[in-house]
Amino acid sequence: MKELLQDSPGSKLFLLGNEAVARGVVEAGVSVAATYPGTPSSEVGDALYQIARESGINFEFSVNEKVALEIAFAASISGLRSFVFMKHVGLNVASDPFMSIAYTGVKGGMVIMSADDPSMFSSQNEQDNRNFAQFAHIPLIEPSNPQEAKDFLVEAFELSENEGVPVLFRTTTRVSHQRTNVELSPIRKTKTVGQFEHNSGKYVSLPVNARGLRKKLEDKMFRIAVSYGKGVLNRVENNGTPEYGIITSGEAYNIVSDVVQRNGLKVSILKLGLTNPLPRTMVEEFLDVNEKIIVVEELDPFLEAKVRSLVQSTERKNKVYGKLDDHFPSMYEFNYEVVSEGLDSIMHTNIPTKVSFELTKELPPRPPVLCPGCPHRATYYAMKRAVKMMKVKDPIYASDIGCYSLGFYEPFNEGDTMISMGSSEGIANGLSKAVDNQIISFIGDSTFFHSGIPPLINAVHNGAKYLLIVMDNGTTAMTGQQPNPGVSTPGVNGQVSIESVAKSIGVNFVRTVDPYDLGTTLRTMTDALKQDGVSVIVARRECAILRDARLRAQGEIHPYAVNQDKCSKCMNCVENFACPAFFISDGKIDINPTLCDGCGVCAEPYVCPFRAIEVRQNGS
Amino acid sequence: MEVNVIVAGVGGQGVVTAGTLISQSALVKGHNVVMSEIHGLAQRGGSVSVEVRIGNIRSPIIPKGETDLILGIEPIEAVRAAENAGERTDVLINIGPVEPVSLSMRGKEYPDMRELVSEIVDRLDVHFIDALPLALEAGDARAVSTVMVGAALQLGILPIDEESTLEALKKRFSERLYTINEKALKLGMKNVLLALHEI
Repeated sequence: MKELLQDSPGSKLFLLGNEAVARGVVEAGVSVAATYPGTPSSEVGDALYQIARESGINFEFSVNEKVALEIAFAASISGLRSFVFMKHVGLNVASDPFMSIAYTGVKGGMVIMSADDPSMFSSQNEQDNRNFAQFAHIPLIEPSNPQEAKDFLVEAFELSENEGVPVLFRTTTRVSHQRTNVELSPIRKTKTVGQFEHNSGKYVSLPVNARGLRKKLEDKMFRIAVSYGKGVLNRVENNGTPEYGIITSGEAYNIVSDVVQRNGLKVSILKLGLTNPLPRTMVEEFLDVNEKIIVVEELDPFLEAKVRSLVQSTERKNKVYGKLDDHFPSMYEFNYEVVSEGLDSIMHTNIPTKVSFELTKELPPRPPVLCPGCPHRATYYAMKRAVKMMKVKDPIYASDIGCYSLGFYEPFNEGDTMISMGSSEGIANGLSKAVDNQIISFIGDSTFFHSGIPPLINAVHNGAKYLLIVMDNGTTAMTGQQPNPGVSTPGVNGQVSIESVAKSIGVNFVRTVDPYDLGTTLRTMTDALKQDGVSVIVARRECAILRDARLRAQGEIHPYAVNQDKCSKCMNCVENFACPAFFISDGKIDINPTLCDGCGVCAEPYVCPFRAIEVRQNGS
Repeated sequence: MEVNVIVAGVGGQGVVTAGTLISQSALVKGHNVVMSEIHGLAQRGGSVSVEVRIGNIRSPIIPKGETDLILGIEPIEAVRAAENAGERTDVLINIGPVEPVSLSMRGKEYPDMRELVSEIVDRLDVHFIDALPLALEAGDARAVSTVMVGAALQLGILPIDEESTLEALKKRFSERLYTINEKALKLGMKNVLLALHEI
């Protein structure tokens, strides 16, 4: 990642969209950056984490998105450029300060990045966060590729600083996770110390101040709408003698461009980078030249509604096509077929679409699984067994967001609810009011710090009854092993103890177990199930990915194998423990030595009562 | 010119590494490249694929039926990726399986290789290679993806060659890893691709 710091304008790097964003942060001279990791935004943080010290950027993984946004805001009103970024649902968490800083405005340029996830590759919904810009009345910028992700970000900082307003920068998975060559531009020097000016009332959202700020915000937005036309962000492309005008943005533009080029369509394309406010002068000029307008955009009819409103309110005669008249869908990401069929339904282009291969036989599925050696597998295995031993009737499992969400899948089936960060506990609080079942919540260490503490306070205060398992693997694993408050980096980050937090809140039963030690884990779980009120077990064991990297470097991974003489083929290991390293061949269970990381949990008698799983001897 | 490649495999097999190698080799050749990496939920063990598009295009998503090459580092995943195949698609399959847990959990074995690929060999140009022994010969099991790229060069579909790929490898790896990967690439290039009856 060090190459992101090279000061060589004109040279090119092959960058992921998110890495290009990190380079944009460097080129824009950003002083303070903060995030809470979330796919598809995570790689921005990974890159900044690696280059922070050398670049002079003060970057941190914050406890959650709300805190991260407030950190960036504070830096901005101290005159520094600041950047905060998150996945789309992260902005829901940060939305409280987000809505208010639109009013107060900012001083040093401040950009908020939301990485949206059309088609939900790694998310719980596909909310179109462009609506947040409209909701808060702030400018919105959408890049289409890594080059624009970098260049538009620099432009976003200029706009933010010139107008004193925070800017929402919205990517999608296909932009954030697209890799292309990116040409570098000069680096702006980073200021390291800001200056806070006491500005009476400007940053105090009391009603008396807010009313005045509201008007100022509208004035800013009007100015931007009429003054931002052609330039870096917006452009018109003409192809032949245009019969239609297409207005588009983001990844939808990429596909439109491909369909148009490949089929020689006669259209004019208005490619917008600034999509809120609509660059009014430029759009009106486009409407004047092109009578028939097609709006092509993913998810909500965001631009389309604005264009239709503009046509109506200015009493123009343009005919507008889009989603609202069913030419394009309002859900899932677009592809070549969706865009060409949509254009065909309007322009009667007769674009040939090819037929793809259809598989007739069903293939064995390969859903996401917990890694070999993952401590969560041991925890889920033990919990299921403890519930059985204690004859707990119909327990309800409230799960949360992280790798351990995969406990939902077979063979564990330990996930009845999973809604949002921290909801394992909020829902447990509610279920304990609503039903008599035993409630068991699972939350990861990072998610516990993010939003699992207030519901635990609520449980003690309001007398909820549930067992909380904090699955502490010492990292924010699912998004790529980012640090969190439970981890200390000597001299840089302090460490917060989950047990101390739980005890100080007033939880009486707080225990810590190593999930690799199935016996102790089981006994502790059975004890916990006898408790009244809320009880907490911290299941602590390093993430297998971190552990494997450490052990591999030392040559200390010793895989296991099945001793066929001892194996009774009871199938408990494959059916109920279900480590991906197991496989069956010629009717025998065996372990793939390249997948096994030697955690040894399957060798315990709770998984293999016949002691048939042993450390692999050379040649066995 | 437009060449579309899907690299398909299992998380941890070097799918992204192979896609990046092809891309960087094409960049050395002066082509425009758009690569798409979609990360699913699992860190390891789930299906993973990347799409590499070389030529005058903008979108990272390959249109239906317009894949030129499926580089399948795992047999089941190679067949799964054939859902995006069309009449111009070649498929190169590494015959080393990674058993999905969905099978072992039900006491089932990995499907018979010939049966697994039967419906695609009838309709597409399918080639096979046993990449793991070659990677081990080169010095590291993790070089399987580089062996696969070497084998793909033999097919003459990609607008890249040995020279550009070695240059891309040089940019990417330390000297020690470069030596291993150089050997892996050459072994992949020299090794005879297998036909169905030979697997």
